[in-house]
Amino acid sequence: MKRKIISLGWGVRKEGRNIWTRNAVKGISVRKERRKKDGKNEWRIWDPTKSKIAASLLRTKFDPAKIIPQPGNDCLYLGSSTGGTVSHIHDCVCGSGNHHKGQIIAVDISSRMMRELVKLSEIRPGIVPVLADARDIAQISPFIYKKVDWIHQDLSISDQAKTFVKIAESFLKNNGIGLLSLKGASERAADGSLEIKFEKAEEILMNSNLNVIEKIDLKGLEEQHVLFYCKMKCID
Amino acid sequence: MRISYDWRLSRLINDEGMVIDEIYWTSDVTVPNLVRRLLLLQKGRMSPEARILYERFDDVEVCPEGHLDDINWPPYDEDQQKMFDEAAIKMTKLKIAESSGDLDKRLDMLVSSANEIRSTWTTSESRCIEWVGLFLTEINLDTNRKEIINSIVKSESISSAANLMETTQPLFSPSEVEWKSLKKHCELAVDLTQRMRQHEDAIRILTLDYMPTLSSLIGPLNASKLLVLAGSRERLARMPSGSLQVLGAHAAMAAHRKGASPPKHGSILFSLPQVGKSPRWVRGKVARFIAGKASIATRIDHFGGIPWGDKEISKINSDIEKIISKFPKPPIRK
Ligand SMILES: C[S@@+](CC[C@H](N)C(=O)[O-])C[C@H]1O[C@@H](n2cnc3c(N)ncnc32)[C@H](O)[C@@H]1O
Repeated sequence: MKRKIISLGWGVRKEGRNIWTRNAVKGISVRKERRKKDGKNEWRIWDPTKSKIAASLLRTKFDPAKIIPQPGNDCLYLGSSTGGTVSHIHDCVCGSGNHHKGQIIAVDISSRMMRELVKLSEIRPGIVPVLADARDIAQISPFIYKKVDWIHQDLSISDQAKTFVKIAESFLKNNGIGLLSLKGASERAADGSLEIKFEKAEEILMNSNLNVIEKIDLKGLEEQHVLFYCKMKCID
Repeated sequence: MRISYDWRLSRLINDEGMVIDEIYWTSDVTVPNLVRRLLLLQKGRMSPEARILYERFDDVEVCPEGHLDDINWPPYDEDQQKMFDEAAIKMTKLKIAESSGDLDKRLDMLVSSANEIRSTWTTSESRCIEWVGLFLTEINLDTNRKEIINSIVKSESISSAANLMETTQPLFSPSEVEWKSLKKHCELAVDLTQRMRQHEDAIRILTLDYMPTLSSLIGPLNASKLLVLAGSRERLARMPSGSLQVLGAHAAMAAHRKGASPPKHGSILFSLPQVGKSPRWVRGKVARFIAGKASIATRIDHFGGIPWGDKEISKINSDIEKIISKFPKPPIRK
């Protein structure tokens, strides 16, 4: 029996409970993930237990296609780690040889992680690796000449929400999408239980120029994680 | 009027949004020079063109992020995009190479000086507490030690400190100069705590980067201590896990050489709650298990494997729980 395929935009599709992206570099997996042929295209499975974006696509109550960036978009990814999720975003924003002319500025503070990311960006044009501290706007702004369409922040630090607001207010376009992954355990224990922590973060977001569209609970895929799906308000 | 700039150009814009002056980067536009420029900008410095405009006009505001709000800011052309992509990769490679420069020694300095600060702090802190206790005879010197010191720092006299701590007034008071010395000594203790925290932050940042896997297993501060005890990451990676297990147990090892039973764990592993807070009869088992994992973790970090993520770490933690729950009662001695 063939399962129904739902397109979530260019190069992203959902098949049953699995999400696939159209592989921009045929024949090569990034994190040893499964690949499959479909005519002349190749698809890579996007593991929702290893990527908070993929998990959100399965968990959101809204149209998941609205959460991912469009082909040709400018994206800012903070806490790119070795680039697992970045590579899937690259599949849809840039595509093979970056024929969509998209861009993903991928920031991480760890040189160990960056080593892997640099290798990835060399075979996937459109990924710009930036070794920097995301908390410091000045370390990122030289790499951005115009505001971006989409931001995802996934940092293992405390004060995530504050950093996110600062970043979004500096770099996110009007109506741009801002996604904040928040982990329960990485914030200091003194800040209280998970719930209180998430509430605190939500409050910080509410008092910013962002509209919180949905607080997506990733339970079952990424334990103790939520993803705040936000949109930049229109300000002139 | 304000100056906006990116690596390509700089503009002077008046309050109506009109471009008054504009300079493009035109000479020696090469990838290596662009790398240099980006490094400069990342440090929060102005581009050479922005600097020229800044010196040409008085009373202007410099906005490093100003171009982002300017809808007329020129987009990259194809050459610029290509150059930028190339430079970003070069620059990141350069930074990676720089950041690995002798981290063993750098961490050793940080950890050793943090230890020195800690031991100075311990001495000063107890001196302060005993000193205050001489005058404020009714306060409890064991609980609220921090509060005692903070109250002295905040007060202008011993009697106002007594008020602050809601304790009875002193029978004898220190003289003016004596009080000043006491207060200064308390300030020193507070200052040392702050410095300790600063050191620990620095250690955390370096270690998370240098030993990500070991850090996620036992925490970056413990990881750095093991590193310093072993001498280098290389040594720690090549060490048998049995030796890693007893790192920091000098005295017990010396006793063992003279015939006592071998230590079950060193001070670092003991400070982990899974070891130190477990019943005494499973500590050795847990320590051996963690030492084995720590040994693998260090090898991953040193020989460039893919660092462990949350999955691997929680698996290890649940294995530890299993070990602990397997031995709920002390063994019966034969
Ligand atoms: C949980 S991982 C991100 C995983 C990634 N989003 C994925 O799905 O593959 C968090 C990353 O944030 C990075 N990080 C932590 N603090 C940072 C900071 N201040 N600036 C930039 N990156 C940071 C860490 O090095 C780590 O790689």
